[in-house]
Amino acid sequence: MSSADAPRIVLEGVGRTYGEGRAGAVRALDTIDLEIPPGQLLSVEGPSGCGKTTLLNLLGLIDTPTRGELRWNGTPIGHLGERERTRLRLSGVGFIFQRFYLLPTLTARENVELPMRAARVSPGDRHQRTSQLLESVGLSERADAYPHQLSGGEEQRVAVARALANRPGLLLADEPTGELDSANTEAILQLLIRSRAESGATLVLVTHNPNVSARADRHIRMRDGLVVGDGGGR
Amino acid sequence: MNRARPPALRHHRLQAILTIAAIATSVSLPVVLLSVGGGVSEHEIEQLQNAGYEIVVSASGIHGVNQAHTLAISIDRIASVAAASPVLSVAVDAFAASGGPQPVLVEGVLPASFTATEGPTERALFPAPLPLGDGSDSVHYAQGSYAGAATWSVLVSSPFLASSGEHVGSSLVLSPTADRTAGVRFNITGVFGVPPTSLGPTAAFGMVVPLSDLQLLVGLAAASASGAPPLDAADTVQVALAGGAAGDPAQIARVASAIQGLVPFYGVSSLTDQVDHVRAASSVLTGFYLALSSVALTVGLIFLALVLVRRVESQRRSIGVARAIGVPGRLIAGGIVRAGLMLSAIGAGLGVVGGIALVLILQRFGGPAVELAAGLAVFDPRTLLGLTLGVVALSLAASAIATRYALRLSIPEALR
Repeated sequence: MSSADAPRIVLEGVGRTYGEGRAGAVRALDTIDLEIPPGQLLSVEGPSGCGKTTLLNLLGLIDTPTRGELRWNGTPIGHLGERERTRLRLSGVGFIFQRFYLLPTLTARENVELPMRAARVSPGDRHQRTSQLLESVGLSERADAYPHQLSGGEEQRVAVARALANRPGLLLADEPTGELDSANTEAILQLLIRSRAESGATLVLVTHNPNVSARADRHIRMRDGLVVGDGGGR
Repeated sequence: MNRARPPALRHHRLQAILTIAAIATSVSLPVVLLSVGGGVSEHEIEQLQNAGYEIVVSASGIHGVNQAHTLAISIDRIASVAAASPVLSVAVDAFAASGGPQPVLVEGVLPASFTATEGPTERALFPAPLPLGDGSDSVHYAQGSYAGAATWSVLVSSPFLASSGEHVGSSLVLSPTADRTAGVRFNITGVFGVPPTSLGPTAAFGMVVPLSDLQLLVGLAAASASGAPPLDAADTVQVALAGGAAGDPAQIARVASAIQGLVPFYGVSSLTDQVDHVRAASSVLTGFYLALSSVALTVGLIFLALVLVRRVESQRRSIGVARAIGVPGRLIAGGIVRAGLMLSAIGAGLGVVGGIALVLILQRFGGPAVELAAGLAVFDPRTLLGLTLGVVALSLAASAIATRYALRLSIPEALR
């Protein structure tokens, strides 16, 4: 199984409005113009409700823009059908959520295997890759534990391993250290940076933590659904 | 490593048990209805097919067949007829040596004809020839005059004999009313058994006497005021055919037609027709059972759909995560359908076993009539398999509802 190439992502006038009618419509994302080169580590900051998660959902193809155009390597993908977007998510995107979101009925190993199972990776390759990933996140001994038997830091490490399973070109992390203590925050951050360096994937990181955003190549600041700042790392 | 199951699985286990119980309950109802209902119908058909006669002459309404002795002789003369047996059933009061009147159904027959039209069950229960004296009953009947010597003999069923304290050789009084002085003393000349099930043909009556004796006892031998011949009444005339004609529908139809020519105003039906009628009635009942059962099954499947939808709701976030990381809808749908099929298959299987167990319990503890009907139950493997497969197939519809719900979840909302 080869690593997916990191895409060049372009957003042109992208917006997302929920609900209908003047009274019911909520403009979660106003008008975003953004270009993300392959392999970049981009941090996204801003107050709650400014549209960070919506932006991440659009980048990760789990939501569709109501305005504008989203392109990967020049190909418009924002309005693809659900089946095609699912295929792209499976092969090209890795998600890491703030609350880990491991499937509670699966063990750590089964959670990591899930994206590969969906991608029809052979059982042998799947097992080998899962073992590698769990070893790389330091959880070989905890492979058979269920999520409720893991600490928060361990859960997030399993989530990182799951996100890397299909060697995606785009890693999206939504406040991945938001529920962790400082020691675990540093460990997860190091893990993400190392994984991104090894795979050459683009990493988009939503964070409130200045120590986290300081490691980014570039950081953008959002407010009220707009990008209000875009600059290099501090 | 502690391999304790996560709470979600424990929760689903309880849901699964309840769902399986609901489906099993809804399946056990048709198992009981179809097996017992089908068994009773099969028993009725078997009784008709083993009746020992092929044609029945009867009159509509409460009117009996008149001139029974003469008619039997006329029918006997038709080619292929082995015997024509008039039968009259009347409830009378029996007075044993001790105790008061005891109601009993008495059957009046021509002894030799009755024996010739016995089925296999009756042959095993009745003595042959019947010890009732004149086999043709022609001496007492004396061509309608009833001037001959009556035998006043009676065969008594073994349960009646046991309860009355009488014995073969003793006598009892049979009376058309509760007044002993209006009765006639009969000599007990024999005893007959009863089949193990009261649904059999001989269990309904407790005594057998010569037809002419019974006619005389209950007034059906009385001449009319206008001087017309006595009624010589019977309820039916049962006609047995000889040899191969008994199994040949064309011969049965020919004889029935010839009899109809003798008695154009009476009903003449073959037991083949009656079997067809029972089968038709059985089909109607089966349809009714299935309609009734479909209500129970629908409730069970609605419960399954609710549980599956509830399961999707409780796994809303997990489904959102799975879809977010690219798990195709078909895999998510497959999981739901598999769960539905598994629950319904286990539920249907347990329902079949439970239904059979319920019938077996009814056979032992259901009260006399229920025990009897349950004892006739027939468990047709094809019906039970068809029922199970039908429920499993219908569970796909329940799964489809939950699958549709799961695949229409908004991923961002599920992750929120």
